[in-house]
Amino acid sequence: MDLGSLLNALILGVSIASIWLIAALGLTIIYGTAGVINMAHGELIMLGAYSSYMLQFYLGLPYLLCLPASFVVVALVGLALERGLIRYLYSRPLDTLLATYGVSLVLMQGVRLIFGSDPKYLAVPEIFQSNVMLGSVSVSAFRIVVLLVTVLLVLALWLLFYKTRFGVQVRAVMQNKEMAAAFGINSGRIYMLTFALGAGLAGVAGALFGVLAIVLPTMGASYVVQAFLMVVVGGGSLAGSVVASGVTGEMQSVFAFFTNDTLARFIIFVLIVAFLRFRPQGLFAQSGARR
Amino acid sequence: MGNLYHNKIAQWVVYVAFFAALAIIPNMVGDSFLLNQFATYCVYGMLALSISLCWGFGGILNLGQGIAFGLGAYGMAMTMQMQSQTESNPIPPFMLNNSLDYLPLLWQPFQSTLLGLILAVTVPTLFCAAFGGIMFRARVSGPFFAIMTLAMLSAFYTIILDRQAYTGGVNGLTPPSAFQFAGVEVDPYSPTAYWVVLFFLTGATFLAKLITQSSFGLVTQAIRDDSERVRFLGYSVAGYETVIYTISGLIAAVAGCCWVMLVQYVSPAQMDVGFSLSIVIWAAIGGRHSLLGSILGALIIQGAQSYLGDTFLATWLLILGGFFIVVVRFLPNGLASLLEVALGLLARPDPTSSPAPDGGRPLPAE
Amino acid sequence: MSGLLEIQRLSKSFDTTKVINDFSMEVVEGTVCCLVGPNGAGKTTTMDLITGRIKPTSGKIIFANEDITAKHEHLIARAGIGRKFQVPAVLRDMSVRQNLEVAYSRQTNPFRNLLKFHKPGLTAKLDEVATLAGLTGRLKERAGILSHGETQWLEIGMVLMQEPRLLLMDEPIAGMTESEIEKTARIFKDLRKSATLLVVEHDMGFVREIADVVVVMHMGSLLAQGSIQEIEADLRVRDVYLGEQEVA
Ligand SMILES: Nc1ncnc2c1ncn2[C@@H]1O[C@H](COP(=O)(O)OP(=O)(O)O)[C@@H](O)[C@H]1O
Ligand SMILES: [Mg+2]
Repeated sequence: MDLGSLLNALILGVSIASIWLIAALGLTIIYGTAGVINMAHGELIMLGAYSSYMLQFYLGLPYLLCLPASFVVVALVGLALERGLIRYLYSRPLDTLLATYGVSLVLMQGVRLIFGSDPKYLAVPEIFQSNVMLGSVSVSAFRIVVLLVTVLLVLALWLLFYKTRFGVQVRAVMQNKEMAAAFGINSGRIYMLTFALGAGLAGVAGALFGVLAIVLPTMGASYVVQAFLMVVVGGGSLAGSVVASGVTGEMQSVFAFFTNDTLARFIIFVLIVAFLRFRPQGLFAQSGARR
Repeated sequence: MGNLYHNKIAQWVVYVAFFAALAIIPNMVGDSFLLNQFATYCVYGMLALSISLCWGFGGILNLGQGIAFGLGAYGMAMTMQMQSQTESNPIPPFMLNNSLDYLPLLWQPFQSTLLGLILAVTVPTLFCAAFGGIMFRARVSGPFFAIMTLAMLSAFYTIILDRQAYTGGVNGLTPPSAFQFAGVEVDPYSPTAYWVVLFFLTGATFLAKLITQSSFGLVTQAIRDDSERVRFLGYSVAGYETVIYTISGLIAAVAGCCWVMLVQYVSPAQMDVGFSLSIVIWAAIGGRHSLLGSILGALIIQGAQSYLGDTFLATWLLILGGFFIVVVRFLPNGLASLLEVALGLLARPDPTSSPAPDGGRPLPAE
Repeated sequence: MSGLLEIQRLSKSFDTTKVINDFSMEVVEGTVCCLVGPNGAGKTTTMDLITGRIKPTSGKIIFANEDITAKHEHLIARAGIGRKFQVPAVLRDMSVRQNLEVAYSRQTNPFRNLLKFHKPGLTAKLDEVATLAGLTGRLKERAGILSHGETQWLEIGMVLMQEPRLLLMDEPIAGMTESEIEKTARIFKDLRKSATLLVVEHDMGFVREIADVVVVMHMGSLLAQGSIQEIEADLRVRDVYLGEQEVA
């Protein structure tokens, strides 16, 4: 066995991990705070890709500006979703799961009716299309962009949750809603904002995935199960999702190196089920975790 | 007079009438293609029934019913595939295309039709018993169990996709000829095939109905209500959950066998997350607490879907998704609860004349 | 003579706080034992430990000469311990009759119950318990709509349907009227003929009425044990417990 190519696999694993992590970030925030299992997360990612496509196609927005713009667009969609539906279902976790699956159907088919089923493509600046040498591995420059955006977002979220008043309020609501209410924290508002934030993060992920792959109405479906497992394995905390994505991303890459991509995915699914059997609360259980 | 909807005798009458109506369909439908379609709807009905039993009565949301259905379907397809292999030509063509020049151990039992059928039903059932047993014993429940079933379903999906030489990969299996049993060929477009499916649907439904009305059903209902409390009454919650989940899986496995008999085809698409979720949608819209409601949900939704055809598929799915949201939000027991309310109104024609016996403040005990 | 239930040097910590601290007691068969103590003394936690809901950090629980410390909840229940919770826990979506029926758990095997439609002895037992609990007229109601007092009675009824050897009652008379309390005292004294009771209660009048033995808990430890007269004369008990009563 050749050590060099194993090293390549490890480097590739970082990239896979960053993709899985950015797909899971929004879901982590929403699940961690409100306990909502948002099955429409994949479709929010898809909406992020389509909003980037539209902004580029109709307004000629440069790609890098599409990222924050997609955040805003999808966050607004998330806000509407929370106000119109999710907020009535907080006490019924199974029903939120199902209702958000209904939402995912509506979003997917709605987009299909508007844009058709043919793929769309996002244009990116020339330099992102080149390849970069990392040690002995050649990695597409865009994957590095994804990695950087992921790191930046994780840092920003960490600051938001641990260094701001909003973060304190969120954590108070997570631990004890009634107690938080006694301190004048409006948990409904916190839930609303975190849901919008989570949706916006999905929007950013979509703007990135639209470049990594093609933009299709069905593109979200392929991310949602994987993203969920990252969140559940992590236990719903930011650090948990980072570690879970990191470990599984590396595993995926290394297993794929010895076998192939599909079989590696299978092994990871089985390992995750086994892991959750023994640690249903995930890697880092939150204090006052709901379940 | 109580609400007719809750009257056990009335329920049995309606069930018998429903299956009698299904039984006369072959006499009414001359088009054998249409009859085959009806039979596949009955298979979907069986799947919805299995979800109603597990989720509606047991409170266990299973988003991975495609596992049992798919394993059953693959078992049946393997059996049928081997029926068309001969002594001189024992290896299915797709294996040869994948440069496999011997019959793998996994396939050998399917050379016998009887053994193949037994495996097609027992393997998924035993899988459910093992998986359910492990999960429920660890007290994985609610949304967590739902996510675990999703993960497991995805695992099966990927492994079947990956092991192309053994499973046909993304193309799946397409047994070239109809299923033969005891020397008789079961033409999928014949009334016989329809009868076979109807027989299993009827059997499964009556079995499920009996179970829900038995002591077991009562305990299961109690577990759905408050599983924590039921433990202190001496019942093994994990045991009950495993049994109901396994029975539900058994029904889905039988449905998988029937389905392949009808369409002579199986692929990983049957283990796709979307398909398993649509089973849940049928049951939810029809009414998950009602076995018959769930079956009807499947018949109506799948019937409408194929009636509208591919041209309107996106529109239809959009409407279905929207309707599903409405049902989850406002009608937790689906369309069946509309009937319940209507019959409830009939039962008490003049609610103003007498004070509602159960609506007002409860009286003190003494 | 050894007790039906023996708690030996039981301790339980949550994170770093020691909630039960080297607590021992025993309940003799055919008696009514009252467990008293100020709020937060650890009475409910003790019941959680006995019924297996939580596992102790150290110590042993022996029931009918059998170590049940490590057993699962349902096995402890099957061994013959029934429990009424402090916050009444009934099956709210089911009818009163169904609640009582489920609690009649002579047969707990899922396979045996699968196609079982008739439980021998159920009707007679259900009539008896429903009458005792004053719920005969309410059998068809959904348990969720019962008043607090009725819910208490229903849960007591469920414990009786279980026919346990040892009944654990966590604050059974909370929310009951004066006459209901008297009736409960009568029923409990009656039950002593066929079963053993461990009752957590604040109401000293009620305790005086029913208790053969009183055990006083304070901050997770045994403070005093004896007849009601001995306990009421005990100065330490007055300090920690009766003092608190005046405040409450
Ligand atoms: N799960 C738990 N985690 C942490 N502390 C607990 C937990 N359960 C109970 N306690 C603490 O244990 C103490 C005893 O509680 P409890 O047994 O309910 O008291 P009692 O029933 O005597 O009023 C209380 O101080 C309570 O806060
Ligand atoms: Mg207490």
